[in-house]
Amino acid sequence: MRARVLDKILSFFEGPWARLLMFPALAFMGIFILFPLVWSVYLSFTNYRLTGPEAVNYTFVGLKNYLKLFKDSEFLDAIRNSFVFTFLSALVGQTVLGLGLALVARMKEPEGVLGKVLKILKIVTITVVFISWVIPEVVAGYAWISLTETGGFFSTLFMGPAKSFKFEHPMETIIIANIWRGTAFSMILFIAALESIPSYIYEAAEIDGATPWQRFRYVILPLLSGAILVDLILITIWTFGLFTLVYIILGVPFRTMHWTIYVYYKGIDRYNVSLASAASNIMFLIVLALIVSYLVLMRKLRRWG
Amino acid sequence: MGKLGVIAAIAFLVAVLSYFLIPLLWMIFAAFDPNAGPELKIPTNPSLVNFEKLAEPIGAAVPYTWILNSLIIASASATLATVLALLAAYVMTRHSFRGQEALTTMFVSFRLIPVIVIALPIMVLYKGWGLNNTLQGVILAHTALILPFAILILDGYLRGIPTTYEEAAMIDGCSKLGAFLRITLPLALPGLVTVWLISFVFSWGEYVIPRLIIATETLTPAAVGLDYFKGLHGQIDYGRIAAFSILYTLPVVAIFMYIKKYLQRGVAGLVSR
Repeated sequence: MRARVLDKILSFFEGPWARLLMFPALAFMGIFILFPLVWSVYLSFTNYRLTGPEAVNYTFVGLKNYLKLFKDSEFLDAIRNSFVFTFLSALVGQTVLGLGLALVARMKEPEGVLGKVLKILKIVTITVVFISWVIPEVVAGYAWISLTETGGFFSTLFMGPAKSFKFEHPMETIIIANIWRGTAFSMILFIAALESIPSYIYEAAEIDGATPWQRFRYVILPLLSGAILVDLILITIWTFGLFTLVYIILGVPFRTMHWTIYVYYKGIDRYNVSLASAASNIMFLIVLALIVSYLVLMRKLRRWG
Repeated sequence: MGKLGVIAAIAFLVAVLSYFLIPLLWMIFAAFDPNAGPELKIPTNPSLVNFEKLAEPIGAAVPYTWILNSLIIASASATLATVLALLAAYVMTRHSFRGQEALTTMFVSFRLIPVIVIALPIMVLYKGWGLNNTLQGVILAHTALILPFAILILDGYLRGIPTTYEEAAMIDGCSKLGAFLRITLPLALPGLVTVWLISFVFSWGEYVIPRLIIATETLTPAAVGLDYFKGLHGQIDYGRIAAFSILYTLPVVAIFMYIKKYLQRGVAGLVSR
């Protein structure tokens, strides 16, 4: 009897009313994602500050914040460095290392001791790379601080005992740390992509006498091109918008190393939220362009597949 | 592949392994070393002193309470996000309506927005909404940030469960939603657990939102709490930071080892979906 009453109530959510069940989720995203984005655009055209008189009585100032930004050499440096950081740590580092690991992971182990060593090393390395990806970003940040601080392992190795690697080479530090942090994603993606290639294709190439390099260059690489493109776009988006890791390791003194630290510095440390919003909006446009290219690419891949 | 190739592969793996192992080794060594510093060394007289010192207050709060705060925030956001995502995914997979494709596209885009871009205006808005410096504020923002991803995963999962059983139940007099709840939901339980765990891990590790919203030591979650081990003049309490990092990391590693298989499939789906 009770079940029937329940079903009567539930049957209300059939037909057009079913869409009502989506409302809570959409409302959440509308209030806490979409509206803040719009608000950020609005704030960037005002002189709003976190404290002082402009926190209460702020007015419309037009493009003033944007014009100010393009005259600020710190902001321009931050943009340039963000591109360098993204290019070296995401495109060069993570993609190449991830692909290398994926290729080694699917190598056949020969008989004997050497094969056993290879097998164990494979499992251990993949697990450790995976762990470095899943631990909290803050924890990764503090581990890398210690290694690159004066007396830390990397500092002693490259600079001697009296100097700090992080202080002398801030860009190299966040690049090394971010490759460490992010490579697992590319590795997993490429392992999955390699598994989806049927094995007879490799075997055919092997029988035809292709060298390992030829097999990689003319068989594997073309078949992986879709996966590589997806990987490149995704990790570019993530690296370009990265805040936590770079902020933990470098902090506001190195605000010209990444635009996200610059935004934090202007908005939180200098209370100038309107200027920070303007900076954040400019950079978000670049991220948006990348997101659109990802969506277009996914659509194309689906059509091919 | 010749013997030379195998040796080259082993050399490559050893190099990569040492690069990836060193930061983790430092963390483990330093946590059990009463005289821990930035240098990498095996503790000469290992002890649990660093863990015991986590019970001593920093400012107004004991570090252990930060873990508790993270537990509250992460389980509340994960639960809220999973329930709301299930409702949304039900509509997306069991009903067809106009604009479905556009909605999916929107969710994919939302997932890729850098958090700092949203966190800054949220901080300003929260001042007016009275959510600044509250756990609820963090929970609500985290729920919204998790939702796009949670819906996409559940959408994929529910599409994999055939609707024939539901249709049979409907012929026997069940309502459409009733059939879904009674028949498909139990089948989708592993998917729901996975979504909950992934959401939990996201919220557990997320730093930007609480960093901008929470100002009181007693309300701080573990992600931001680590910053308090840094002294006023930049000197860092390495031993306690390492000990706290280990406690803070263990649940996440346990969860990921549990859902590893699923995750690999999920990443594969990014290419083929």
